[in-house]
Amino acid sequence: MEPLIIKETEDTPEIIFDPIDDIFKISKISVPEDAYEFYEPIIGWLKSYANKPNDETIVEFDLEYVNTASSKQLIQVILALEEVARNGNVVAKWYYEEIDEDMQALGERYAKLVDVKFEFIEI
Amino acid sequence: MFDDNLFDKAFNLFSRVEKQDFEYVYRGYFTHNITKKILVLADSNIQKSVERTTIQKRIYYIMVEGLQNITRHQDDLDNNGADKYPGIFAIQKRKERYYVTTGNLVLNDKIPALKKKITKINSLEKDELKKFHKEVLRAGVISNKGGAGLGLIEMSRKSGNKLVASFELVNEEYSYFYLQTQIPTTNKEKLDSDVQDLKLRKSLISIKKLHLSLIIENIILYFNGFFNQENLLSLLAIIKGRMHMSITTIRLSNVMVEMIQNIIKHGAQRSEEINGAPGVFFLRQKENSDFTLTSGNYVENEDASELKDTLTFINSKTDSQISEYYDKILLDIELGDSKKSGLGLSDLRIKSGKKLEYSFHEVEKGIHFYILQTTVINLKK
Repeated sequence: MEPLIIKETEDTPEIIFDPIDDIFKISKISVPEDAYEFYEPIIGWLKSYANKPNDETIVEFDLEYVNTASSKQLIQVILALEEVARNGNVVAKWYYEEIDEDMQALGERYAKLVDVKFEFIEI
Repeated sequence: MFDDNLFDKAFNLFSRVEKQDFEYVYRGYFTHNITKKILVLADSNIQKSVERTTIQKRIYYIMVEGLQNITRHQDDLDNNGADKYPGIFAIQKRKERYYVTTGNLVLNDKIPALKKKITKINSLEKDELKKFHKEVLRAGVISNKGGAGLGLIEMSRKSGNKLVASFELVNEEYSYFYLQTQIPTTNKEKLDSDVQDLKLRKSLISIKKLHLSLIIENIILYFNGFFNQENLLSLLAIIKGRMHMSITTIRLSNVMVEMIQNIIKHGAQRSEEINGAPGVFFLRQKENSDFTLTSGNYVENEDASELKDTLTFINSKTDSQISEYYDKILLDIELGDSKKSGLGLSDLRIKSGKKLEYSFHEVEKGIHFYILQTTVINLKK
């Protein structure tokens, strides 16, 4: 499957979904006005990837800011990972700054709501 | 749910600025980084309202000079002075004119020399000013602060107007030095110089009053005008530049994003031309205590009653109930991120750990002015 690479902007994150090099990463900042528009193709890509995923898919979430509109879309991303997990192993690695309780809490919320294995990494 | 007095204050601030105009004030310590972001924010708002690039460049130049003036003088002060009496930078658009105003602390014994420089500059006509500029440049008399009034001369030349200065005694040692430059965007009839002078003085008095109310209310950041994503990102960068990385800063940024995006998404009376919704936002902090964030914008009748319901609902819940509710809306695709869902408001409630304060007032038929206030606890007290 063709990798999905989206460069970061001032208000949207960098996306690297590359099954060939085995890198899956969402990083930096996510505070767009229209989060749906930004995340729709990403969720779509994951849903197709779910049909024939790698044996193991480790997705890194390394985000600095997330607005509520994005948090609503991110859960859809993670729900799509649930589908991936039906045909392969999936681990969501959730990074957060030591001081950033809110980012930690958001990851824990997702882990509770979705059936995907989460690992928390304090940086 | 809200102190009416505060509504009046917020609404009065908002009403200072007429439609199509804006006003932006930063009050606090100026670092290189903050200065840069202030310029970006100011410039993007100018770009939207000025078509003539020459004028835009001039305004930019004047802002740079003004900001450099502040940072230069700020370095002169001992920490106590700079902390207690922070500088102020303001850019305003009023009808066809821009006003750039700086206010900063100067040593009282420097005032006579400053006054002399300004009087001299103001006494010169365009050609004389050009000549004087060359003279000063050639003489190379550079004061230890890098300026022999060159900045002042340039500000006057670029604006094509007299400089307006005023000094306000703070204590035995210091005074506030206010400097205002006015930049017209049209070449309409040349006003009689006395009338011009009077207009300038009036406008400086108005900003001194604003400065005073910002001091009284402990407002450190104030933006009044059209809100869009671009402005939000600049304001965010200013907050980041102002404080050390801490949970308080992170939370403050998060809360600010939600509040301003609320205006951007749901604010009424928007302008297609300028791209954004009119509103007011300010951040308050009394010394090192908690932060209070206030936003104000128009909403239509129907939205106002929905918002009221959502706010009442959110405030009636306990912390754990609101957290459960948050989970529910996160998973509910139907609700999307519509204003009905209250996801943003629930998030504000969770992050501030307090009930949300709000107020609605019908300002004209069918249109309400909606004020929302949140608190971010300063954990590094």
